[in-house]
Amino acid sequence: MKVLVVDDSAVMRKVIIGALSQAGFNDICQAADGQEAVTKVMAGDYGIVLMDWNMPNMSGLDALKAIRTNKSKVPIIMVTTEAEKSRIIDALKAGANNYIIKPFKPETIASKVGEVLAKASV
Amino acid sequence: MKVEFINPFIESVHKLFTTMLGCEAKRADAKLTRVSDNPRQITALIGLSGTARGTVALSFPMETAVAMANRLLGADNTVSDDSVSDAVGELVNIVAGGAKAMFCTESSVPIDLSLPNVIRGERHTVEFPSDAMWLDVPFTSDLGPFNLRVAFEMNGRKRRDN
Repeated sequence: MKVLVVDDSAVMRKVIIGALSQAGFNDICQAADGQEAVTKVMAGDYGIVLMDWNMPNMSGLDALKAIRTNKSKVPIIMVTTEAEKSRIIDALKAGANNYIIKPFKPETIASKVGEVLAKASV
Repeated sequence: MKVEFINPFIESVHKLFTTMLGCEAKRADAKLTRVSDNPRQITALIGLSGTARGTVALSFPMETAVAMANRLLGADNTVSDDSVSDAVGELVNIVAGGAKAMFCTESSVPIDLSLPNVIRGERHTVEFPSDAMWLDVPFTSDLGPFNLRVAFEMNGRKRRDN
């Protein structure tokens, strides 16, 4: 399965990719902002997207809305420092499938991805 | 700046260390300061705006910053300069993000975060253009010493601490 990791921090992308690799995901692509993420999602065949919120050019929330506006149902997990309940609700209302708050343990990435993929396959 | 405003930021530092860096951070006594008079070699800054405003900074000796980047990446002294700057920017983002959530009630408008900035250089100082004050909290950890510095006011008000 192809996974897209979206974060403006290259270090954070490596941390998330490391966690995904440990969980057995090997086909992993990257994007550094929301605009790049929208372009890649609409052009590619991704099984799941992990999306930061605060990024230059286009935020993760705006990218999420753009992807849903384009009728894509790709599962999207927000991975962000935005921890307020209202932010989480905003993201879920906009079509996020789950939410991971930074800081996180690597196993959280694997478990949330597994949870979302299991729900998506039902 | 009210001294109790520092507590969510300290809690956020502790959570970052235990969750992603695999060690504890121990704090020393905080002090109010106008200029960062304990200069470090690399500082990551992030701005807060909206229902609160302020700046959060993490300042490190380069050895500490490299050790933290290595720990985050699981690498062994192989990180590039760019990765060190990127890593400390992400660390201040996580600390500020965790703290700002603790200031918000369910009905309040979230505080907005800027994108982080990183300053490098020997004995650089970080000052506010006004007479606002930093609350400076030194920390020690297995990865080395560092300082948390915060200037923060709720409701967009900026109290002058003369």
